[in-house]
Amino acid sequence: MQTVPNSTPVIRLANIEKVYQTRTVETVALSQVNLTINRGEFVSVMGPSGCGKSTLLSLMGLLDEPSSGTIEIDGRPVTSYSDKELAGLRNHKIGFVFQSYHLINDLSVIDNVEMPLLYRAGIGGGERRKRALDALDKVGLSARTRHFPAQLSGGQRQRVAIARALAGAPEIILADEPTGNLDSVMGEEIMELLLGLNREQGTTLVMVTHDEQQALKTQRLVRFFDGRQVA
Amino acid sequence: MIRHLFTLMWNRRRANALLIVEILLAFVVLFAVGTIGVDLWANYRQPLGFEYKQAWQANIAFGSQPRAERFATLQQVLARLRGLPGVQGVAVSAANTPFSFNDSQSSVDETDAKGKVVRSANTVNIFNVGPELREVLNLQVTAGRWFESGDVTPGVHGPIVIDERLREVFFPSSAQAIGKLLSLDKKQWRVVGVVQAYRADGELQTPVPALMQPVFAADTAFLPDALLLRVAPGSGAALEKRLTDEIRRIGPTWSATVRTLPAMHASQVRTLLTKPVLLGLMSIFLLLNVALGLFGVLWLNINQRRAELGVRRALGAPAGAISRQVVGEILVLTTFGLGLGLLVAVQFPLLGAFEIKAGVYLTAMALAAVGLYVLAAVCAFYPGQLAAGIRPAVALREE
Repeated sequence: MQTVPNSTPVIRLANIEKVYQTRTVETVALSQVNLTINRGEFVSVMGPSGCGKSTLLSLMGLLDEPSSGTIEIDGRPVTSYSDKELAGLRNHKIGFVFQSYHLINDLSVIDNVEMPLLYRAGIGGGERRKRALDALDKVGLSARTRHFPAQLSGGQRQRVAIARALAGAPEIILADEPTGNLDSVMGEEIMELLLGLNREQGTTLVMVTHDEQQALKTQRLVRFFDGRQVA
Repeated sequence: MIRHLFTLMWNRRRANALLIVEILLAFVVLFAVGTIGVDLWANYRQPLGFEYKQAWQANIAFGSQPRAERFATLQQVLARLRGLPGVQGVAVSAANTPFSFNDSQSSVDETDAKGKVVRSANTVNIFNVGPELREVLNLQVTAGRWFESGDVTPGVHGPIVIDERLREVFFPSSAQAIGKLLSLDKKQWRVVGVVQAYRADGELQTPVPALMQPVFAADTAFLPDALLLRVAPGSGAALEKRLTDEIRRIGPTWSATVRTLPAMHASQVRTLLTKPVLLGLMSIFLLLNVALGLFGVLWLNINQRRAELGVRRALGAPAGAISRQVVGEILVLTTFGLGLGLLVAVQFPLLGAFEIKAGVYLTAMALAAVGLYVLAAVCAFYPGQLAAGIRPAVALREE
């Protein structure tokens, strides 16, 4: 099954500005960003280090608040949500994949993958395990459920992180340089996995990357420079 | 979530080993102090078996008076004191008067017709007392009767009154005790009555079964160490002086020290509470150190785990869930430490150590466990709040 993006905005950023302020320095991370991500779209974000890509992803993922501007998820401004509601949105709607995986080393693969479901009410232990196993099956790691992250290769860890994002069946996956720590073969493998998710399940993906080749495989490429969207 | 916390903490058990040992030691301290406290409380709640608010004690020293003359002088003293206004009763007694820290203990046996020992009570307080003691201390007879003047009959087993605690050792009910023979000092004595558990050692000491042997006026072999008096309400220093003066007047070589039983009681309570209170203060200091240790370790732990907590927030954990997780983790570690502690603690009731009842140990275990959980939760509360305040974007960026 192949899905194509429709024109329904799932994330909309309007006039976003993000300023980091210390006692002595004021750093503008993002300025006048207007970006809309439609449902089912696979968008890659490129730009040099420090141009605000990760900040953009944090704002889209509701991990941070903009200094000014509006973020809408499904047409509703996120400023109207409480902390608990924002956590619920992150849990139900958004999946994260980080460059450095961010797995918990003291938990087995299956326990790591189950984690988003721990914060979802009404899902019992059995159901959690089933969903986690399904997600690991999708990333080809069903034979490694009892392993710990330290026992896996970088590519396998990233696949666990993707399985963790998938376990909650989110509509949106935000991936921050998911292949940044991997060799080219492993990076290709992960990229195929993400493309497959978008193609076959219609998952909306926003991926920050430094790799032009991978970015070109996505449906839209957004470029940033010095906190501004330049393309 | 509980399973997740147990899995996480079990997997981190080596990293948290010192914390678990600290919790184990805190449990041992709480259990020890708790056992002493619960034992004292259990003792305190049981009735004394006598009234002492209007009772006084006069300790007598006979001085240089020849022994043969002492009995006659004693009879005069008793007659005089009983006639004094404000004195409602006087009973002779051996030195083991209430709250005096003096004991006279022996073993008591129940024998069958052939003289074979059927049951024994190894530690029994033996009281040699005048028959007036019942009125002086308002003893309550629960079965049979108190001593009577006709009790001393040659060739007949001497009468004794036992208390309920001794009765429980030998007889299923108070009524069944009456008329039975008990063996003390290789002689047999007939039980004529049962009184409420008599705790002359005071309410803070472990109750010991008691047996009373009468000292009648005709008993010239017994010279008392003390007189117990019941005085009218409001009696004070004037009566006290009168008592000592009268005793000195009748027996010029005699001296007497009069103390009120309430004063003796207060003095005994102070003495007996000194050690537990010191121990309690030391344990509070120790627990304070444990609490500071827990707090410090948790604080450090939170700072080292900012990225993990940031990821949890990113995956959908609300601030409250993070806070609860931090508290939950320490409660799980407490459970591990407690499990080890309980394995040690449960040996005490199983072995019957220190002759303390199993119920006291079990109550102390429960109190120590609850105390430890509360301590851990209180120590984790603020670090939990700090953890909940971690902003996921900042924590992940730091990583």
